[in-house]
Amino acid sequence: MWLPVFGLLIGITLGFLVDFDIPHEYSNYLSIAVLAAFDTLFGGIRAHLQNLYDEVVFVTGFFFNIVLAAGLAFLGVHLGVDLYLAAIFVFGVRLFQNIAQIRRILIDKWSISRKKQKKNL
Amino acid sequence: MRKINSKQVILSLVSVVLGFMIAFSYNLTKDGQGAVKDKAWDQEYELRQQLIEQEKQNRELQKELLQKQAKVSNIEKDLAQEKQLFFNLAKDTEKYRMYLGKVKVKGTGLQVTLEDGSDMDSEANVNNYLVHEEHVFKVVNELYISGAEAVAINGQRLDHDSYIVCNGPVITIDGHQHPAPFIISAIGDPDILKASLDIPGGIKEQLVNENVIFTMEKQKKIIFDPIIGG
Repeated sequence: MWLPVFGLLIGITLGFLVDFDIPHEYSNYLSIAVLAAFDTLFGGIRAHLQNLYDEVVFVTGFFFNIVLAAGLAFLGVHLGVDLYLAAIFVFGVRLFQNIAQIRRILIDKWSISRKKQKKNL
Repeated sequence: MRKINSKQVILSLVSVVLGFMIAFSYNLTKDGQGAVKDKAWDQEYELRQQLIEQEKQNRELQKELLQKQAKVSNIEKDLAQEKQLFFNLAKDTEKYRMYLGKVKVKGTGLQVTLEDGSDMDSEANVNNYLVHEEHVFKVVNELYISGAEAVAINGQRLDHDSYIVCNGPVITIDGHQHPAPFIISAIGDPDILKASLDIPGGIKEQLVNENVIFTMEKQKKIIFDPIIGG
């Protein structure tokens, strides 16, 4: 259980330590990739809580979403269509939905456990 | 345990990527994008400041330019006046040199010839028929008064300190002796000179009354050389 947390810390440290600038116009792609990663992550957590979690789907979804979001944004810029807005919108909405579901599930679980405790008492 | 481990390894990989992306993005936003924006703003501000400074300077310089131009025009006016002054001075100098006999003079003029009277009675005094220095004086003075610029007697030019002395039958002018007849030539407006001598009761009449043979002749061109050693 500690290994993923450790990995997260390593990633953050690496990110802070790496010191190279990417051109300003590419920072949009990065932000979309981050958004996609968040979306997949919360999706995974929700799936886990709903007992629907599948590792392959999660991992492939994580990387594929990142690449797809960045690629779509890149394509959109070159086609003159603001596709990255669509990506931000979709991922943003899904992010909030996932977080809301996670919250409900947690609340449900908590209330059930309290009832159980009360019954036990 | 082993299965959980492999699962955790993959999850760790995912979290490494996630952490890296988050941190990198944060870093970039913190000192990349913001800095770029700030830098642009700073630069614009600085340029604007520079522009304002430049315009201020321009205005000041323009004011200075106007002042300088006014100065220059004043100087030019002065110069013009000075030029006029110098021109006048040069003219005056030329005139005075002419009076002093330092330059060659050329122009229209009048030639007056004074000859001793010829039709004298045998018992009359000879002196009454000769041309005396006072006759010459009168003519010369009258010529000068009526605007002659240069006067010469028998080709000898007179200047401001010339002297004329009667010395028997001859007249000595500045040490040179001249016999009669005396040809007095004057440069000036011949009409005026002639008219002034011709005035009723004037020089001509006086001289004629004193038995001097007085002839006048207008000259188109008289040339006086400068007085040597004057």
